[in-house]
Amino acid sequence: MSTQEVTGHGLRVDGLGRRKAVNRLMESLAWVAALIAIAILGVVVFSVARRGLPALNLDLLTKDPIPFSLTNQPQGLANAFVGTIVIVSLATLMALPVGILVAIYLNEFAPAPIRNGVTMILDILNGVPAIVIGIFVFGLFVVGHGQSGWAGAFALACLMLPLVSRSTMEILALVPNSLREASLGLGVARWRTTLSIVLPQSVGGILTGTVLAIARVAGETAPLLFVSSFVGTKTSWNPLHALQSVPVAIFELSESPDPADHARAWAAAFVLLMFILLASLGARWLATRNRRKMMGR
Amino acid sequence: MTSAELTADAARRPFTGRRVQWGDLILQVVAGGAALGVTVLVGLIIWKVVEGARLSIQTYGLGFIFRVAWNPVLGHELYGAGSFIFGTAVTSFFALLLAAPISMGIALYLTELAPAVIRGPVTALVETLAAIPSVVLGLWGILVLGPALRTTIQPWLHDGLGFIPLFGPPSSSGASIFTAIIILAIMILPIVSSISRELFLGVPSELKEGAYGLGVTRWEVVRGVMFPYASGGIAAALILGLGRALGEAIAVTQVIGGGVFIHWNLFSGGDTLASKIAASYQGSTTKLQTASLIYLGLILLVFSLIVNLLAQWIVRRSARKHGIVRGGHA
Amino acid sequence: MPKLGFSIRIATALAAAALVAALVATAAVARPAKHAGTTISGAGSTFVQPLVSQWISPLGSAYGYELQYSGVGSGAGIAAITARTVDFGASDAPLTPDQFSACNGCEQIPWALGATSIMYNLPGAPNLLKMDGPTLAKIFMGQITTWNDPAIAKLNPGVNLPSTKISIAHRSDNSGTTFNFTDYLSSVSPAWSSQIGRGVAVNWPVGSGGKGSSGVAAIVSQTPGAIGYADVAYAIHNHLDYFRMKNSSGKYATPGLRGMLAAAQSDQKPAADNSLSIVNPPKKYPNAYPISTFTYVIVPLQSSKAPDLKKFLFWAVTKGQTYGPKLLFAPLPKSVLVVAEKAIAKIHS
Repeated sequence: MSTQEVTGHGLRVDGLGRRKAVNRLMESLAWVAALIAIAILGVVVFSVARRGLPALNLDLLTKDPIPFSLTNQPQGLANAFVGTIVIVSLATLMALPVGILVAIYLNEFAPAPIRNGVTMILDILNGVPAIVIGIFVFGLFVVGHGQSGWAGAFALACLMLPLVSRSTMEILALVPNSLREASLGLGVARWRTTLSIVLPQSVGGILTGTVLAIARVAGETAPLLFVSSFVGTKTSWNPLHALQSVPVAIFELSESPDPADHARAWAAAFVLLMFILLASLGARWLATRNRRKMMGR
Repeated sequence: MTSAELTADAARRPFTGRRVQWGDLILQVVAGGAALGVTVLVGLIIWKVVEGARLSIQTYGLGFIFRVAWNPVLGHELYGAGSFIFGTAVTSFFALLLAAPISMGIALYLTELAPAVIRGPVTALVETLAAIPSVVLGLWGILVLGPALRTTIQPWLHDGLGFIPLFGPPSSSGASIFTAIIILAIMILPIVSSISRELFLGVPSELKEGAYGLGVTRWEVVRGVMFPYASGGIAAALILGLGRALGEAIAVTQVIGGGVFIHWNLFSGGDTLASKIAASYQGSTTKLQTASLIYLGLILLVFSLIVNLLAQWIVRRSARKHGIVRGGHA
Repeated sequence: MPKLGFSIRIATALAAAALVAALVATAAVARPAKHAGTTISGAGSTFVQPLVSQWISPLGSAYGYELQYSGVGSGAGIAAITARTVDFGASDAPLTPDQFSACNGCEQIPWALGATSIMYNLPGAPNLLKMDGPTLAKIFMGQITTWNDPAIAKLNPGVNLPSTKISIAHRSDNSGTTFNFTDYLSSVSPAWSSQIGRGVAVNWPVGSGGKGSSGVAAIVSQTPGAIGYADVAYAIHNHLDYFRMKNSSGKYATPGLRGMLAAAQSDQKPAADNSLSIVNPPKKYPNAYPISTFTYVIVPLQSSKAPDLKKFLFWAVTKGQTYGPKLLFAPLPKSVLVVAEKAIAKIHS
């Protein structure tokens, strides 16, 4: 494609001053756009920090909520933090093995049409809105049986699966084929090659993808809204019953008229945000380090 | 060589005492089973949503899609998706309209204008915007953005541009379609800008250098070389951003105010398909209401699938155009 | 031979992790097995939620029960108990015959007495402004739009009312409080009765919707000029002003204990389905607050948790009532208490 074809017409040399002015305008607009993005991020994070930090104390993490408290007893959101830990852990336990296996199958074994087909299915799963996943899991597990932390974990696992699979596939593809060829050439079985040679090379990338997926679902509210929301105030580690979670707690507190509730919501939002940001940035740093290591080979 | 070819090759090699590799079979079956499971899962999702909506589909048929009504009063129940499809369309369209130029600007800034040292940090910052959970953004929207808009921008727009029906009387509580549009735009921003950035980085430098050699300004290179080259990908990025906006339930329901009528006034309340489900599902009293809410979810699912497949098709088409072969390991 | 060490190590690590997870899960499940049957879960009315929340701690110390209550609105509470997703439902609106048959063997039992306050947010204005039924109906129909409207000024002579626009806050979810409020408006305004009617959800001509009583209270407290309705505990808890309402005898009553108890005198005999109607009492109850209501717990007659449920409910209608007054819930009148206890005794396993 020559420049002539791309621009479609010959270039006039006159009007240079005007063109330069337009150029300068566009450059400053681009600069302003970047500023806007940074400003938005700054304002949101600053708002959350400014309102959340004063209300952030040990009670928030260790005490249970006391709704309609008439006395000023210390209360917190312990049940939500514990619930999120349980639900997200269970979701990871469900999604991680399945995601890795799918990626292994697609990258190491599947013929091209199946690989393209299942990849498309993974993309479709990724595109299903979280609220529809909530409806789905409600119809599948909650109707007739009641809400539970397991159902919530399953819903989050559905969201994590395409993320884990996709990042695992990318990292498996980065493992040089020469390694596979060498191993097979020595007579090592396919399965052993995959598990002892290819997989260990990919552990860093898989870990990164998992951390990113965890960061993503830790903040998800919609799938849990109808699946694990009829909860009590006492902290529970039992996933057979509905468990409170941090995003759902923030959601409920955000619609309350009580400024004390708002303060707790901001504090919980701050903790959630910090966790997600640190996890995301940490995972990205890990990924860059891994990529450099793999490329250096 | 592809993996399949390697396997065939290895199998052909003379290897004394080669027995059936049970390990290979087991791994392939288990891993293949996982892949099959994922396919079944997606099918199950579609089936369950259709099944859940069945009562409403039988009662209202396709007319549901166009009816503007949502009357849960017992004895007079009547449901329709019209106002929510309208709400979804309006919020997504305006959010995209707002976010697209800013995202392009960010992408251009990061690829063409930013000094090398700040490119990395700023890119990371923009992508961090995507990591903010929607409930936190919604919390900020209810308690900070909404009231701020209500006292500043909304009256200002109404006073200045009130003759346009879009800018009617400001909302009383800060919760409005307008607030939802801003929040959705913030969510779309990082997606579109990061994809666009990668697209712009992928424009072959010979094309750009050729244009510069002709004495063209930077903006003209962007407009005449980079945008056309990346147009397919940008379209896909916009569509993916649209998909994000379509499916957002939580932040929207927190700030949009609720309402069933179709207003042109952006400062009034309303609902989108997703936000209506989030707001009303738990409180649904009759089977018909629940089925109608799931019917809304079905419509939302269909829209999301169309958007998703459209984006994939565009990406494949533009990849073919640029001679990139996709898939597999090289 | 490539070393198996790594893959074996990974496999062992995964197996160990799975084992640990299984152990944790078992422990988590096993521990509450001792307390099986002592979690009593309910969902429904946000109107009664302030009172039920006070019961959680004393109930735990008295019987070791863990009471879980989700305020999702009366309509959702009825749906939840119909689906048996919870052990009891709570609704301020009595069940319709259709809802009774859908619930398949449920009964409703009055377990608290409260009042719906009409809250407002008008900076500079005093608390306890006067309001009457017909004017309130016109306001909620959108026919009166500013605070200094002559109709409001006539009720409040001598008060300086600004020209602020009135914003309406109503419930967006299915609400027994909405039922109580629209029941009242229907009985004082023929126009309201014919055009809009009563129900747990109606087609509000104007206003924005909030979820739950807290949602309405939130809109009112954040919007100058707003008027909304919710149980009076929410007005108190959020320091919101509320109107004095004119009753049938022409006197102005507040949604306090005296007003509720006076209104309760107008219907002392529960109907066959245990429901009572005390909205807009006739003029021989001069102290009555006209938007008072009983609120009901909905329970299945047959439940696997029958003994615990009965103990909880007996406690709720007796000892539990003592937690009411400071939240402006009046104790159940004697005649209602008798009927309630008889109904509770009917629950069997």
